[in-house]
Amino acid sequence: MSRHLEVLEQGRLDVGLSLGELWFRYFELGGMSTALEVEAYLYGALIPTPHDGDVIAAALNERFAELGGDHPIPYSDDQ
Amino acid sequence: MSHVTERGGVADELGLMIRLLPNQVVVGVIGEVDMATAPDLGCLLGALVDRGHTDVVLDLANLDFLDSFGLQMIDDTAARLCPSGGVLRIRSPTARTRWLLDVSEVSGLVEFEPSDPDLVPLGSEQQAGDNAPIVSAAAAEATVEGGWVAAMPGGHDVVDAALELVTALAQATVGGADGASVSLARRGRIGTVAATDDTVAQMDRDQYATGQGPCLAAAGEGHWFHVESVADEARWPDFVPRARARGIGSILSTPLMAAAGRSVGALNIYSRTERAFGLPEQELAALFATQAARIVASADVAAAQASRLQAALGGRELIAQAQGVVMARQGVSAEVAYATLLRSARQAHIRLRRQATEITASTQRKLPLTGSEP
Repeated sequence: MSRHLEVLEQGRLDVGLSLGELWFRYFELGGMSTALEVEAYLYGALIPTPHDGDVIAAALNERFAELGGDHPIPYSDDQ
Repeated sequence: MSHVTERGGVADELGLMIRLLPNQVVVGVIGEVDMATAPDLGCLLGALVDRGHTDVVLDLANLDFLDSFGLQMIDDTAARLCPSGGVLRIRSPTARTRWLLDVSEVSGLVEFEPSDPDLVPLGSEQQAGDNAPIVSAAAAEATVEGGWVAAMPGGHDVVDAALELVTALAQATVGGADGASVSLARRGRIGTVAATDDTVAQMDRDQYATGQGPCLAAAGEGHWFHVESVADEARWPDFVPRARARGIGSILSTPLMAAAGRSVGALNIYSRTERAFGLPEQELAALFATQAARIVASADVAAAQASRLQAALGGRELIAQAQGVVMARQGVSAEVAYATLLRSARQAHIRLRRQATEITASTQRKLPLTGSEP
């Protein structure tokens, strides 16, 4: 997977979601990892599966869309 | 009663756990006892002494901070117990608290004893996180003046049970109180959720029926209302004769304040005696109203979290169903199906949940899966 994980953390900061709130949105979209694991993905302590990374990206993209933006976070099969 | 705060309420930094045993009352202190909170605690302890309790235990295991006002309050309480042969026991103090009591020579007036694991929390406490639901009070039990008062499990809402405990404690500790109730506005209607006896519940109903009375006024206007003498009361002409007929002499209604200064109900304390409640009783009522409001607020947070969680589970299920549809149609794995859904939602500029709903619905209409053909 070529995606840089920093994109996820930067996206989270850009849309102003707390870690807890991001985890809840990730969970709403079908995510299966715990809040602690998601935090570890964002800080690079754990590497998510491409699928898990996509669910986090989707949660962020939906937040970007709520704020009137596009879907700036790429998914794992975009390139 | 030497201390009455001007605020008329209890500070947020102080949490209390109270257990009334037949021959002993245990008050657990959580958080900080300082210039702001010492008067509140002193008020509670003073009321217990006034009610004839001679064996008072102050459990300081969860005390975070004690200043000179707190020491003075402990000293005052111990001194007040002396004439009646009573004793103030300090249970499980930290080393620092013990040291403070020693150097201030308060320790000569009190007795020390080890910890008690059974103390029951009353209301929202500081150790819990900001949004953590507080349900521990629902499991609370207290023996009030020899009689058994328990939060009733089964068929009873957790919050209502906790509020019943608060009314029982209010009745037992507020001097002159013959009964107490909590009225709450739920879904726009006010009702009694906890009452110590039928007369009290009926008094509340009289107020709802006439649309008048101190309980409705306190709940509606957000400050306390005091009927010092039902015989002389000129307000609420439809309600007051009913109170008189039931043998009520005085009523004290204190609002339950939620966040943002909004009143959500009232704690009502009734007495058969005229002019039963003075400033100390008003202060004590404010303390119990604060505890009751905390329980209500915690329950509201818990309810909001529960409904959001329920919605989230519904959304997950919808997405999983749509994933299954794509898997069956295209013969792909769950993860590929998910990626397909993500792409089609992005393309259509809709949320994943809505895309999932449409795809699941399309199985009924036998429509092709849009934007996802390989």
